[in-house]
Amino acid sequence: MNDTSHPVAPEEVMSFLDGELSTDRSQFVSSHIEECFDCGKLRDSLGNTSRAFAHWVVPAPPVAAGVKNLLASSAFVASFKRPSQGGLSLAVSRRRQWALLVVSVVLVVLALWVPNRVARDLPVTEARQARANGGNSESMNGSLDQFANESRGRLQVPRAQSNEIGMRGTQEPSNGWGQNGPLIARTVSLSVVVKDFDAGRASMDAVLARHKGYAASLNVSTPLGAARRLEASLRIPAPKLEAALHELKSLGRVEGESQNGEEVTAEHADLVARIKNDRETEVRLQDILRTRTGKVKDVLDVEQEIARVRGEIEQMEAEQKNLEHRVDFATIDLKLAEEYKAQLGTPAPSVVIQLRNATINGFRTAFGSLLALVLFLAESAPSLMLWLMFAGIPAWSLWRRYRRAQSRSALAGA
Amino acid sequence: MSDERLMLAFAQGSSEAFTELFHRYKQPVYGFFCRRIAEPANAEELAQETFFALLRARDHYQPRALFRTYLYAISFKILRAHRRKAAFRATFFGHRNPVWDVSKRDATESGLWVRRAVEKLDPLDREIVMLREFEQLSYAEIADLLELRLNTVRSRLFRARTALRDLLEPAARAAKSVLEHHPAQTASPNAAEASAQKGECA
Repeated sequence: MNDTSHPVAPEEVMSFLDGELSTDRSQFVSSHIEECFDCGKLRDSLGNTSRAFAHWVVPAPPVAAGVKNLLASSAFVASFKRPSQGGLSLAVSRRRQWALLVVSVVLVVLALWVPNRVARDLPVTEARQARANGGNSESMNGSLDQFANESRGRLQVPRAQSNEIGMRGTQEPSNGWGQNGPLIARTVSLSVVVKDFDAGRASMDAVLARHKGYAASLNVSTPLGAARRLEASLRIPAPKLEAALHELKSLGRVEGESQNGEEVTAEHADLVARIKNDRETEVRLQDILRTRTGKVKDVLDVEQEIARVRGEIEQMEAEQKNLEHRVDFATIDLKLAEEYKAQLGTPAPSVVIQLRNATINGFRTAFGSLLALVLFLAESAPSLMLWLMFAGIPAWSLWRRYRRAQSRSALAGA
Repeated sequence: MSDERLMLAFAQGSSEAFTELFHRYKQPVYGFFCRRIAEPANAEELAQETFFALLRARDHYQPRALFRTYLYAISFKILRAHRRKAAFRATFFGHRNPVWDVSKRDATESGLWVRRAVEKLDPLDREIVMLREFEQLSYAEIADLLELRLNTVRSRLFRARTALRDLLEPAARAAKSVLEHHPAQTASPNAAEASAQKGECA
């Protein structure tokens, strides 16, 4: 049969026999087959082939007892839940699952949010309480302040006594130091997070100016893509420490605070005593030099001794001055950090450059990810396959046994 | 009552509907597996699995196609899973798939020459022609089941039938000559029934 010249394709004859043609086409093919010898022959051969399949007979199924029982037991079929019931129970269980999921999410959110909120509100609350209680809310701070106030109160009398005694002569400090009360060198570490870094910095400068303090050191870092930080060592007059500290705390959220008071009374008293002795020694040496006459060598020795004593006195006076300065000016190690807010970068120069950069980055990323995948596969694939084989085959075998046992138990139950 | 209505009734909880469906299709489904699997016991087991799957899936049944197509789709999936497991078993455990050993069959078996001819076909062509000839599925249903295009099904079916014709005609002639020369060993008209009584998948 020539397919090109024939109006009916052989496959159409087959489709006609199978009843797969439309009615019109079927009538046409039928009439054609009646007229065409080749198509009639094809129809006969295809029909014979199909009839040959009738010889392939399959015996009746030896229905298993389980299936017989299954069919005999309407209870088994009825044991399958009706769709409405099944759907309802499924819906309820799904609803429960959703409810549990929502509750879990809410709990997680609360667990993450509440501590942050409390931590954020705590400094404000404490500051309010401190204002309400006159600054006595913080036990350590309050006790230290009280102790310092008491110290300063006790120091008032010795100051006057000291002035009267005139122990330091020409180098008598203006505030006057006595030896009756404890001397405390106070150091405070404060870490504050501010929303507006520039405003925080300006406020810090204002605090320094207002309380006549100064910054012993100051370091500002502005890393790219991160929050700005300021670290400063502020020296504030001790009587104004409390007020300055309160103002610095109000700059933002206090992340950490520690206060330390070092008592330097004994050290100061020792220095004063040694200075006093050395000065008396110096006076005696000067008297010797002035009243006694002797050899030149002796005169030189006395002058040398006076110079040594004078040097010691000056060194100790410097130490005393430093010590008194530490007491006069409390140190605040301030760490000021900015609440980081991602900033929109400056606009890209042009769309073309953005496209170019994006394309290059895309290729790099694609290549990197591909390389990472290849490396991962090269490194992990053998061991993964090995473990998959070790773990997968027993699991598969167990699953198969479980399914069989389930089917058998269903049959047995029926 | 149509198959689809019975299935819907079964989905509503009627056990009688399932019983009726089972009686209608137990032979076709068993035949489906029996023609494709060498071991009759396995065919029986898979036929049972098919009906169990039907039981389990009844809540999801929607009469979008003929029930017959739906049932054969389940059967086909189970058959594929069985073949996959068998291939896995053969690969990793060395269990060889039992094959049709025609030498152990009854020589007078009437369908033997048909089966031998079918075995020589390409696996996909064989599946298509068997789905058409035995399960009486339409071209569109076969295309859906095997995930093929309709034209592919038609052309492959034609090719398979042509090949079968070429294979069967000499065999039929040879069988006819054998019948003429050895009347004692003729295949009786009831040979298929005799084979069926032996419980073999012929």
